Amino acid sequence: MPNSAVNTIEKRQETAPVAAAESSFALLQSILGRWWVAFSLSVLCVVSGHLMIKAGLNHAASAHGIETLTARLLHIALQPQVVIGLAVYLFGTVCWMVAVSQKEISFLYPLSSINYVIVTLASAALLSESITSRRAGGIALIVVGSALLNRRSRTT
Amino acid sequence: MNPKLMVWVSVLLSAVAQIFLKHGLNQVKSSRAGAAPASLLSLILGVAGQVWIWLWAACFAVATGLWLLGVQLLDLSYAFPLLSIGYILVNLLSMIFFRERVDGMRWVAVCIISGGVLLIASS
Repeated sequence: MPNSAVNTIEKRQETAPVAAAESSFALLQSILGRWWVAFSLSVLCVVSGHLMIKAGLNHAASAHGIETLTARLLHIALQPQVVIGLAVYLFGTVCWMVAVSQKEISFLYPLSSINYVIVTLASAALLSESITSRRAGGIALIVVGSALLNRRSRTT
Repeated sequence: MNPKLMVWVSVLLSAVAQIFLKHGLNQVKSSRAGAAPASLLSLILGVAGQVWIWLWAACFAVATGLWLLGVQLLDLSYAFPLLSIGYILVNLLSMIFFRERVDGMRWVAVCIISGGVLLIASS
């Protein structure tokens, strides 16, 4: 892969922490291959992670008799679905960083607003939440806004 | 504490946390510039010695806890889109602290996203 050859050359000129971070990143990059693989995996993991967390929280909500905030936090943070959801979400974040290292952020940022669309649709389908017209309109604005957000950097 | 307030504080904290992380890593990078290649251990020690990194970790932990507590009582389709406030806040804070330039188009984008967030917040 020509990408890794470039990395090795650049690595020698960088400072040590950057080099160490890059070498662990290079491993993930070689596993995840192209930017769209890393990006798709990040969308999949971020969305499913948040849905799992919410499903676990809904499940925990049925538990009664928990008074203090700390006890409630401990109770919900130890739900298996919440723990797994958090781990999946974190992995999705790492995949996002790998994607960003392979492709300009100005291109990926607008694409990543697809997360909002999918989470909203999935909340309606899987968690039986109601999508009001305000929510749908709000998400449309967020998608348009993030498409415009990094346009300047594309020309420089 | 109101669940909506928890989610808003959580989202704001995680945006601020990103700034701390970026600043902390910048500090590590500049303090090591020109130094001999470091082992992974000394890299970890360098990162762990940064106050900013600890601030990031603290903000991150509190933000996650507040998110869990808040989202338990709210719709995910309400809370999740609020994360886009991060786009706005990171833009504004980068402009203030890292002296990044923000041109007209970005301001338009920030206004449109804010409009979307307000619509969702009022739902």
